[in-house]
Amino acid sequence: MPEYTDNELIELFRTADRKHFAFNLLARKYQEKVYYFIRRMVIDHDDADDVVQNVFIKVWNNLDSFREESKFFTWLYRIAVNESLSFLKNKRLRSFLTLSSPEALMVKSLNSESCFDGEEIQKKLKIAILGLPKKQQLVFNMRYYDVLSYEEMSEILGTSVGALKASYHFAVKKIEQSVIAN
Amino acid sequence: MKAKSKIAQPSIENEFLPPFLQNLKEKNEGLNVPLGYFNSLSPRIVDRINKQKSRSFFTILMPVFRNPLVLVPVIATVILAIVLIFSIQTKNNQTVLVDDEITELNMAYDASYAEEALLAEAHIIDNELESANIGYLESVVLTKENEPSDEEITEYLIGQEIDPEILN
Repeated sequence: MPEYTDNELIELFRTADRKHFAFNLLARKYQEKVYYFIRRMVIDHDDADDVVQNVFIKVWNNLDSFREESKFFTWLYRIAVNESLSFLKNKRLRSFLTLSSPEALMVKSLNSESCFDGEEIQKKLKIAILGLPKKQQLVFNMRYYDVLSYEEMSEILGTSVGALKASYHFAVKKIEQSVIAN
Repeated sequence: MKAKSKIAQPSIENEFLPPFLQNLKEKNEGLNVPLGYFNSLSPRIVDRINKQKSRSFFTILMPVFRNPLVLVPVIATVILAIVLIFSIQTKNNQTVLVDDEITELNMAYDASYAEEALLAEAHIIDNELESANIGYLESVVLTKENEPSDEEITEYLIGQEIDPEILN
């Protein structure tokens, strides 16, 4: 099978008879990255599954109007960021009824073997990340796990490179303190 | 069996990271994913997209109605419509009660309405008789030539076995 660039797949997507084919290739190319990015934010697999599906449905619905002013990859990440934050906001609203914070539920998930089976230090790291403000979590995850450049992060989050560097620096410091303390 | 995520390769840009964070970059992240999940993900997404295409008109409108700016006027209109429908129906029902003879008859058989209905009926009969009597008397006055003669009255009284002497 020939290797297609993102732009070629987007062009194919815009031709009626190749729409499904192009979308399948795009989804397969990015599904794992998008899934793990979301999973790190929401922790629970079922929640991540819902959100990742919503992300790709939005891609399907809006790809026709996508302008190639930015890279497809950063556009996709921006959708993933918005969907994750929206999901967490709704979860916080719902958690008023159960009287337990979403973070507490996520820590509970991390303690179940079906969700997490890494080393104890990995779990401490995850819990420390969950303790960060949402924006710092996004910045840390993008930089540390996905190894995005600050320029890419700036395009995704709409924040200056300087602010992102500062945000990442503070996130690392807080995580270090949290892991040492625990 | 579970699939595990791999952390991406380190960036070209060198940054200071605490030693434990540097070490953890080389290890599995620890988040479990069901086996075969990524093989089934894109078909499930496509399946959801196909279902989305056949969504009903109502389902498409639901997010619109969740907007308070739309929801409040819609609820107000529905309440107003219900109030109007009930008020019109009440008026119609009142008209039917007055005009409906069967309902009136049923009311007459109701113990609480029986006396009133009988009195009303007696009053109507009295009026009819009274008007009939007046008519008869008037006709008697106006048609004097038809007045029975003394012989006819005497003959009637004999026929009724009454002594004609009572006339004197």
